[in-house]
Amino acid sequence: MITQEFDFHAPRRLDEVLRLLADNGEGAKLLAGGMSLVPMMTLGLVQPRMVVSLNHVAGLAYVREDAGALVIGAGTTHAEVARDPLIARHCPLLADAARHIGDVQVRNRGTIGGSLAHADPAADYLPVMAVVGARMIVRGVKDRREIPADAFFTGLMQTAVGPQEMLVEIAVPKTQARGAYRRLHRIEGNFAIVNAAAMVEGAGGAARVAIGGVGHAPVVLDVSAQMRGGASNDALNAIAGRVYEATAGAPEDLNATAEYRRRMASVYARRALAAAAV
Amino acid sequence: MKTALEVSVNGERRRLEVDNRMVLADMLRDVLGLTGTHVGCGTGSCGACTVMLNGRTVKSCSVLAADVDGDAITTIEGLARDAEHLHPVQESFVRNHGLQCGYCTPGMVMSALQLLKDNPDPDEAAIRHGIAGNLCRCTGYHFIVRAIREAAVSQRAQPAKADG
Repeated sequence: MITQEFDFHAPRRLDEVLRLLADNGEGAKLLAGGMSLVPMMTLGLVQPRMVVSLNHVAGLAYVREDAGALVIGAGTTHAEVARDPLIARHCPLLADAARHIGDVQVRNRGTIGGSLAHADPAADYLPVMAVVGARMIVRGVKDRREIPADAFFTGLMQTAVGPQEMLVEIAVPKTQARGAYRRLHRIEGNFAIVNAAAMVEGAGGAARVAIGGVGHAPVVLDVSAQMRGGASNDALNAIAGRVYEATAGAPEDLNATAEYRRRMASVYARRALAAAAV
Repeated sequence: MKTALEVSVNGERRRLEVDNRMVLADMLRDVLGLTGTHVGCGTGSCGACTVMLNGRTVKSCSVLAADVDGDAITTIEGLARDAEHLHPVQESFVRNHGLQCGYCTPGMVMSALQLLKDNPDPDEAAIRHGIAGNLCRCTGYHFIVRAIREAAVSQRAQPAKADG
């Protein structure tokens, strides 16, 4: 049982949610899947005075196709992302990352919007969003803005979503590039220690890799030059070196030293690129 | 601060008023007396509290009770009307010694049901992956996996019976 009292609202419509946010700002905490928020409230780590559930608002979970992008509602669960046919066709990298999140129960309830807004640095979606160049669509009562992934994660578990705003959908560019996601974890179901998402276009085309768990936002490298001749050992070694340099700010905690994170970042970036380049 | 809600639990519609601070596991156990759902870690890691919410397994310690208005919940008590008429998955757990202390078992059975709904013919790897959200300190999982494997086989042999 949670110890601190709070007000609870379960609006039925998005405009009611936005009105509650406009009136309460940081005093209102949005509850989507709750797979992070509810345990944090149980532990007393966060004590909102108002909780606004999104679980009874129609129309937050969807996957649809626009001209150049897939548009995914923020309320779409990880299980839905993992098995959606449009995502499987146009961005299977995203479905692959979603399959790794937590466990079956977490994936049944947790949402892509919730995960991104919570912005745990090791979340499986983060390097995918960075490497594909996703755009986060954010709404307030009066405004609607699009924030590119490389501007979305602003600090440790902080995002560019304002206190009176809500992440409503994510636009993921359709791509023919091949992607691969790899993650390091000691314990199944736990957050990754580091993770990597890579995208490689056809022979000689663009190649990018994003690494998560090494700072508040993924580290993204354009490795097109190194990958021009394919994923040779020399190419991957050069990239591993670049990753190691680029992750100098990796944190140290109970799970891993900074040095270990950096070395593993290199390993997992290599693995993701090698898999994407096949 | 409280919230009024209408919820269906094991097929029975209930009207309740819950303290906002209550999680679903507490509501099931303390308000409705359905103590088959167990609380292990209380923070979403062990899966002992797993129930079905609108047909999908969730960890009930990580769902606010106030948030289930209009929802349908199935707990372990909803699987069998009495000990003489266990659900086939439960029968398989008994036959295969898939439990020792029994603390993880209700949650484990619910996850087994979810797995068999999604994948009626899981191999060992799929079973282990499907119960990855349920920790067991007693059994080492070996007989749990065997119980689920056998339940899958018998469910395919008699599909009408084994509906979670």
